[in-house]
Amino acid sequence: MSSEMDNFIGLSAVLTGFSHNLLAPPLDPVDIKAEYLPFFKRKIAQESGDPNLAGQIFQKYSALHAQGLTPQQIGAAMLDPSNGEDFVLACRKLIFMWYSGAWPTLIPAAGSTPASTVSDMISAKSYTASLVWQVMQSHPMGDSNYRYGYWAKAPAPLSDYTGN
Amino acid sequence: MTTKAYDLVIVGSGISGAIIAYQLGKQGKKVLILEAGQEVPVDRSGYMQTFYKANAKTPESPYPPTTQNPQASTPENPLGLPNPALENVPRYTVLQINAWRKPDQCYFTYPPQPPGLTGDSQEALFAFASSYERIGGGTTWHWLGTSLRLFPNDFELKTQYGQGVDWPGGKKFYQALVPYYEKATNEIGVAGDKVALDKLYKQFGVEPSGSYGPNYNYPMPPIVDSMVDAAFGQVTSLTVDGNPVYTTPTPQGRNSLPGDRRQCAGNTNCIPICPIQAKYDATVTLANALQTGNVDIRYRCVASNIRVDDTTRQVTGIDYISYDDHLGPPTGHGTAVGTKYLLAAHAIETPKLLLMSNKTKGFPNGVANSSGQVGRNLMDHIMYLAWGLAKDPVYSYRGPLATSGFESLRDGAFRSKRSAYRIEIGNEGWQWAANDPYTTLADFVFGQNNSQLNGNSVNQHGQPLRFDPTLPANSQLFGAQLVNTLNGIYIRQIRLGYLIEQLPDPDNRVQLSAEKDHLGLYRPQVTYRLRSNYERDAFVSAKQVSTEIFNAMGATEYTQAPPPPRLYGTPDQVTATNFQYRGQNFKFYGAGHIVGTYRMGDSKTNSVLNSRQQSWDHSNLYMVGSGVFPTVATGNPTLTIAALALQAADNILEDLNKTSTETEEALADAS
Repeated sequence: MSSEMDNFIGLSAVLTGFSHNLLAPPLDPVDIKAEYLPFFKRKIAQESGDPNLAGQIFQKYSALHAQGLTPQQIGAAMLDPSNGEDFVLACRKLIFMWYSGAWPTLIPAAGSTPASTVSDMISAKSYTASLVWQVMQSHPMGDSNYRYGYWAKAPAPLSDYTGN
Repeated sequence: MTTKAYDLVIVGSGISGAIIAYQLGKQGKKVLILEAGQEVPVDRSGYMQTFYKANAKTPESPYPPTTQNPQASTPENPLGLPNPALENVPRYTVLQINAWRKPDQCYFTYPPQPPGLTGDSQEALFAFASSYERIGGGTTWHWLGTSLRLFPNDFELKTQYGQGVDWPGGKKFYQALVPYYEKATNEIGVAGDKVALDKLYKQFGVEPSGSYGPNYNYPMPPIVDSMVDAAFGQVTSLTVDGNPVYTTPTPQGRNSLPGDRRQCAGNTNCIPICPIQAKYDATVTLANALQTGNVDIRYRCVASNIRVDDTTRQVTGIDYISYDDHLGPPTGHGTAVGTKYLLAAHAIETPKLLLMSNKTKGFPNGVANSSGQVGRNLMDHIMYLAWGLAKDPVYSYRGPLATSGFESLRDGAFRSKRSAYRIEIGNEGWQWAANDPYTTLADFVFGQNNSQLNGNSVNQHGQPLRFDPTLPANSQLFGAQLVNTLNGIYIRQIRLGYLIEQLPDPDNRVQLSAEKDHLGLYRPQVTYRLRSNYERDAFVSAKQVSTEIFNAMGATEYTQAPPPPRLYGTPDQVTATNFQYRGQNFKFYGAGHIVGTYRMGDSKTNSVLNSRQQSWDHSNLYMVGSGVFPTVATGNPTLTIAALALQAADNILEDLNKTSTETEEALADAS
């Protein structure tokens, strides 16, 4: 039986499009997953009013995973509206959290103002660990491990950044 | 408490104060710096952590005092902005712009909007759009690093084009500044491409011998161009008002080679903070000044009043209030005494201090203000932003924030009709323009369309803007499709920023507000308009030129027309920097270039300082920084600020040596 963390990382890999190994490397001094999992559980329990929602999400993922489905099939099944609005929204917020290091609040459309999103940075570490910078084949603004002049040349292929 | 007597007392430890302290300290002069803000930290990791954690990565976000506290968010104050009345050293921040009508959230106050105006009225009041720091090292903590010289014609806008004013002496002022430009370039350690700059200067009739000195080169080789620069560099077939359009590598105050500081690692974060100090900031010069052994600095000491002898008109001391904790009570007060005095507190706090110092008999309008010009002619480079997607990947969000610009449009006969501008090329994608990567991310995760990439938006030319026409509007993606879609967008994002020359307007001004800070000192009241069609016509030009540039490079334009201005309503309803002109809606941004509030001039009736940056009214008082500029001109101001500070240091040294010679002669006569 998989642990909660295994399910959390497995689900996160499916939804974000990043490899399991990149989200949770075997040697993981940053260990952002240890910050995200309890944070995620707490936030979605607060927001949905359902303390069991995270458990249901992980259980569903675990069941789908056990069926040997592809990541595409698992992701589509997790985000299917039949799971319920809170369930799907929690999964989408999980994507946003990994990508941005921040927790989103959705602001519905009002009059001529369209729907938008604001977010709160979870921690200094979550900013530097956020994935959106990898998607653009770059580094978090203010946290470059590159060397002088790298910006004059094309970066490594996208797959190097996502692990997929 | 009165300090021991110094040769020079300086208010402010930014680039100007630090340069002058260093120059005088090297010559054995005793200098005291009063710095209102907190100490230069031992290392910048604390600032970095604050920056990483900040929700809004604004120019001020790493620095104390805190710019926002999300835990204190309320419906009236959604960002959790601190109350300036409770802070000892509040300052204006970018987050305050949209709260400009809320004095419990905004450090500046503004006069009421005059009644009966329409959105295109030249009399409409706006929020000021630029900010500064009040900490050891000053605002260069968050400067970009752009180190351009001004052109000779920038110094005589009136003579050449009938607009604004000349600097005192016009082109002669420029000629006198040339050697100081060289010294400033060395002090900052500018990385620059002399050949490219020579070409640019030649276009404007300046030969190398007149721009750099005959054998001058930059102290560092140029920073390499970005792939974004290369894409814009292909645009070579356009002209604007008779000027050719081509890019020029930007001379920059960041290390292209390892030296005393590290080599730039392309953190793409020059504003708000370079994590490795590859970018010069004034703490470099400040440390050198302190190491002379002749310079003292007192942090957390806020200058509150300038004392003047009502008979001799000489400044006799600068009163200050000290504090320990930013939100705590004052912990002391004193008077700093010297032979000469220098105000280097930037273009908002300097005039505020002069205006506050109105208690001396005969000086009811404040110190150095017989002309009535203190606080007037507040200027900025008012900015127009345009953004788009390049045809091919340019790999944005990499390298320093800006490495090239269109400098070839900064001067020409058109300046008799509209403001000139330079165009900065951004390497940061749509971060500034559209709060990316977060806006586009939220769009494709939650099915929104604020980026215009995920819906049915069309641009002003009728082009559909949905990034992937095979996807439905308001798509909600995940997995590989999300990765590939976002990647395709981010690596193509481009942005242009126009730095438009704002004319001096005496009614654009800093005054004393009725509101006070926690030390009981007045806060600034700011009156700010874009009153001249000369400036507004440059926005029309910028909009058109952006479209031409994007078309020439095969890019798709995503510049969003802002909502129309709303001048009246609740503080949450009114717009801050939106205006209408010729039937079009515009929004201006600030360049962070706060200029003009204690200008130099040829006459004591219309300026605060003479061309030596010395008060017309008080011969032992000097002022430096961009507040001395008579016009904002067409280049980012910091290199000119540094050159002027070096020039002022020579003037002060000359005057100090004269004073000591006179004293020695008087003593000899007496004996």
